[in-house]
Amino acid sequence: MPIRNTTVRWGAISQLFHWLIVVLILTQFVLANEYNHLPLGLAKLGVIAKHKSVGITIFALAVLRLVWRALNPTPELPNTLKPYERVLAHITHYALYAILFLMPLSGWMMSSARSFPVSWFGLFQLPDLVAPNRPLYDTLHTTHDTLAWILVVVATLHLLAALKHHFVLKDDTLRRMLPFTRTR
Amino acid sequence: MLGHTRAAFRAGLGLTMIFCTYAALAAAAAPPPKYTLDPARSLLRFSFMQAGASNTGRFSKYTAEVAFSNDNLAASKIDVTIDIDSLDTGDKERDDTLKMPDLFDVKKFPTAHFVSTRIVATTAGRYEAQGKLTIRNVTKPVTVPMTFQNKMEQGKNIGYMTGRAAIKRLDFGVGQGDWKATDQVPDDVAVTFSLRLTPVG
Repeated sequence: MPIRNTTVRWGAISQLFHWLIVVLILTQFVLANEYNHLPLGLAKLGVIAKHKSVGITIFALAVLRLVWRALNPTPELPNTLKPYERVLAHITHYALYAILFLMPLSGWMMSSARSFPVSWFGLFQLPDLVAPNRPLYDTLHTTHDTLAWILVVVATLHLLAALKHHFVLKDDTLRRMLPFTRTR
Repeated sequence: MLGHTRAAFRAGLGLTMIFCTYAALAAAAAPPPKYTLDPARSLLRFSFMQAGASNTGRFSKYTAEVAFSNDNLAASKIDVTIDIDSLDTGDKERDDTLKMPDLFDVKKFPTAHFVSTRIVATTAGRYEAQGKLTIRNVTKPVTVPMTFQNKMEQGKNIGYMTGRAAIKRLDFGVGQGDWKATDQVPDDVAVTFSLRLTPVG
């Protein structure tokens, strides 16, 4: 598998970004669910701290991923797509990229607004993005949660589309984002 | 004739002794001026780490009775009483948590208290206030590096006192049960102050 993308296949680096971010996002949902069920206390603080650290990691990976995408060819969408499907695919992809930035940013701003600064795995502390402000925190919290639900919907659509290409249309769309596979 | 001379000598000796005693007292022990807190223009803050990030809070209610003179450190004294319930970290839930029995237990121990036992000069304008700090009814010796400066403001001799005390919360039992753990909230806490003091009397 080549390191760089080609016009028909994602390269190793792009695949690494894609799947690493998938795993980290799933981790975020697990952690969020965990601390939502914990009473206020040290255990909860610890899980929230992990959620913040993973979130910042996703944010950094998203930046690098976008840079890498700009420096590489992008595999073309299959030419079997109907026009509305092409539009839908673009909207889905743009939405996913936007969420990769908006979720960590809204989370980071939430922390600042509630004066709980963000640390990356205890190694360094990030600057506060906004001044402490409880109403702003509440708005950001709602935004963060809403984005999570939008992510669930869009990612599900993305997954179903990939599965449709693989099992129904039997084309290379999914395979070209998978390592150890050959495209036809 | 001789009697007059002796009487004059005695009187002179007496006056000299009185004068010397007075001068010696004046030189050694001019009492230091007394001050009280100007709460509106003072700041008492604390900072601690939480999950790898530095957090700060402040106390809005406290009193300070200070007697301070660089020329009479022996008689200088600092006495600060803090109303723990007035703590503010910018988040009500965290404030309430800090006031719970496992941390400050504010219902049982509403105040913290510092009183100096000895103040020594280190370098120009800098001092070390050695004293006793009481939190949760636990008293421990602490040393507080500090500065003290006077400024004349509208004919009043105003004192400005700043400093930072590094303390360990668990020395005072601020952290019972789960909160004894130091991985999320470490033991080290810093208390910083910048006080404006107005003269008393």
